[in-house]
Amino acid sequence: MTDIVLSLEKATKLYSGVAAIEDVDFTLRRGEIHSILGENGAGKSTLTKIMAGVVQLTSGRMVLDGEEAAPDTPHEARELGVAMVFQENSLVPSMTVAQNLFLGQERFYNRKRGVEIAAQQFLQSLNFDVTPTALVEVLGAAQKQMVEIARAVLHKAKVIIFDEPTATLTPEERKYFFNLVRDLKSRGVSIIFITHALEEALELSDRITVLRDGRWIETDDAARFDRARAVRAMVGRDLSETLYGAKKAEARPAGERVLRVENLTLAPIVNNNSFSVFAGQVTGVFGLVGAGRTETFKIVSGALKRDRFHGGEVYLGDAPVWYRVPAPAVKAGISYITEDRKAEGFFETSSIARNIYTGLLAKFPIGRRLLSRREQTQVGDDWTRRLNVRAIGADASVVELSGGNQQKVVIAKSLVQDPKLVIFDEPTRGVDVGAIAEIHALINRLADDGKAVVVISSYLPEILGLSDRVLVCRQGKVVEEFSAHEADEEKVMYAAIH
Amino acid sequence: MLDALRRVSDRILGRGEASIVVPTLDGVLKPNAALDGAEPVFDARSPRDLASDGAHLYLADGTHLLRLDGAEARPVQDFGRRLTAIAALPDGRFAVALDGTEVRLLDRPDATTPARTWTGGGMTAVNALAPDGAGGLVATDGSSRHGADDWVRDLMEQRRGGRILRLREDGEAEVAADQLGHAFGAAARGDDLLVSESWRHRLLRLSRDGRRQVALPRLPVYPSRLSPAAGGGWWLTAFAARSRLVEFVLREPAFLKRMIAELDPDHWIAPRLRSGESVMEPMQGAHLKTMGVTKPWAPPRAYGMVIRLDAAAQPVGSLQSRADGRIHGVVSAAEHEGHLHVLARGPRQVLRLPLAGLATGDAR
Repeated sequence: MTDIVLSLEKATKLYSGVAAIEDVDFTLRRGEIHSILGENGAGKSTLTKIMAGVVQLTSGRMVLDGEEAAPDTPHEARELGVAMVFQENSLVPSMTVAQNLFLGQERFYNRKRGVEIAAQQFLQSLNFDVTPTALVEVLGAAQKQMVEIARAVLHKAKVIIFDEPTATLTPEERKYFFNLVRDLKSRGVSIIFITHALEEALELSDRITVLRDGRWIETDDAARFDRARAVRAMVGRDLSETLYGAKKAEARPAGERVLRVENLTLAPIVNNNSFSVFAGQVTGVFGLVGAGRTETFKIVSGALKRDRFHGGEVYLGDAPVWYRVPAPAVKAGISYITEDRKAEGFFETSSIARNIYTGLLAKFPIGRRLLSRREQTQVGDDWTRRLNVRAIGADASVVELSGGNQQKVVIAKSLVQDPKLVIFDEPTRGVDVGAIAEIHALINRLADDGKAVVVISSYLPEILGLSDRVLVCRQGKVVEEFSAHEADEEKVMYAAIH
Repeated sequence: MLDALRRVSDRILGRGEASIVVPTLDGVLKPNAALDGAEPVFDARSPRDLASDGAHLYLADGTHLLRLDGAEARPVQDFGRRLTAIAALPDGRFAVALDGTEVRLLDRPDATTPARTWTGGGMTAVNALAPDGAGGLVATDGSSRHGADDWVRDLMEQRRGGRILRLREDGEAEVAADQLGHAFGAAARGDDLLVSESWRHRLLRLSRDGRRQVALPRLPVYPSRLSPAAGGGWWLTAFAARSRLVEFVLREPAFLKRMIAELDPDHWIAPRLRSGESVMEPMQGAHLKTMGVTKPWAPPRAYGMVIRLDAAAQPVGSLQSRADGRIHGVVSAAEHEGHLHVLARGPRQVLRLPLAGLATGDAR
């Protein structure tokens, strides 16, 4: 039996005549962990989607276990032993965890209790703390990710592709995940691992392949890579100094108090939460998954409602506000840029221009009777250029864009509203290193322009590199505040877990 | 009519005036541990107040007036009654309050015969004395019902018996303002007075004709005495920080009534000058501690804070001792010989910090 389980030869995929990948050669050894690195738009997702049967090659060929394979659907690929855990989860929200796990593997007669017991045993064997009877729609992002991973493992695939699997996991969960991947490897399963966290790739992988602009750049043993080499290969220049940056040396002074939150409560997630946000600063909000950060700022922006009784107070400037829907918050100058861009951030089949224009329309107090296609094109072109969205044009559908460029569209959709308070929730999740640097520069520019900027992130280097002040959340409230010069990883982490 | 309906709905829903919210300690009041790093100068037995006449620093300790020379305390005189407040006046005279019911004006701190004495006006809990900026003297009387030591009961009963007294040359104590939520500290601001109102967590500006204006509202602490700062502005001390639990208890009359009637005051759910000495105290367990160590961000029962106010009486910085600190119950601060001296009744200590770096708001 050959050592190579899967290979792609001269793989090329064209979208509307534009190459997403071109002449890429790739080999995956049996029982290896192989990371694919690259900026957004580098072709990582396309490459792996071909293996998983989501899209088909325009030219070139794929060889699986010595035989040519061209799966037309993910189901077909799974039959061949290739499973993919997608970047944005593909679970059915209205079904339970157990039902999602066994979806597509149903028998003629299915006993609900039997399915649940099997799911429970299986999840326990993976050390995943997820209730099999819970509906997926009530799970947090990390738990949904766990179900995705569990589903791939359950299919007994010989090749499992993980696309950004750890982005939503806590450090504790990440440790479990790494152990799981190593366990799969020891059982002879080959793993393809797409990540933007370079340290994870360097720690976990046996080999690393770097793609850039749809082309293969290099493949080598992970032991021979370091962070600088990986970044250089990915972006074609040395970005390691600017990516996340070191801890902030100088913090911007606080301007006027833009937002004041006092004893905000949405039981049981947000508990008695109090803090302020000031103009002209980046306020970083750190916490582990489940700390209530997202929910707090969703309440502030009207996407969630606080408790009806003793729900606390929110002041925009000096005025108390109580938004029941996001529209008045947008009109008042609050923009919330979601962590789940696929579900909440954009209309994926609409064009870039249309998505951005939708953001602008939300700003008008009583809406618009007539919509202007010309204005839409103008706004779309303008923001596509300003945020350097890489696409064929502003008419391209958002679904065709890479994760980083989709994120830029979501950001543009909010910034077009000219908000005074901008809330970024996990702004660089699933975004490549080049786009990370661009998004960080944009966040800094907004603060320099005097806007109050909030950055919610689970990635500590990002928080430390960006924030003028750091708020640490635990169990639904801000427990500690650090200025930029006080904050370090140890202190912030201590507050987050104690 | 609409206002009345709104008030009713607010009471039911816990919104507006009826919401139990505590302002956030952030911005210039961002929590820090600066007071815990201060240099201890003197351990007292029952300290009450500090005052500096420029040449010397004085401490009211029990019935004694002491002069502090570094770590050494020299007795100035024993009044035989508890001192509750002292003040050094610009003309070199000295004022003391005894048992909260009598104020004496002395030509010198060691003068045994008072130049003038005020006992009228129903003085009950005189807790601070200050020059009024026009050559006169003012006193803050915390309560018309409870003595200066019984301030916790005054808070729990939510009394509004605080007063500002102008102590006139003719020996009369004129009431300049009344119905205050525990007046505790005053300072001259031009022709007006700046007054701390502890139970309402604010500073008032009181003009000579009796008009009141809120100078600094919604403090997250219980403010106490004010003392002038070099370069303009004041130092405002705070002896405890507000907590949502106490605010909640204050809105539960039935619980309050039983708590006051049945429990030892040391175990009331109320702010204290020090805490953690007994496991019987409230707020000693649960999420406040990990492995027996109090988390700095735990809701505080006792707290210490000195706030630097600018010339417009707005905060520009603060020195604090958090829930895990021990410099709690700060009731007085005075500048003396290049240092800010702080009296913390929690550890019964006088401490000092170099003024350099504090005066411009760098304290934060």
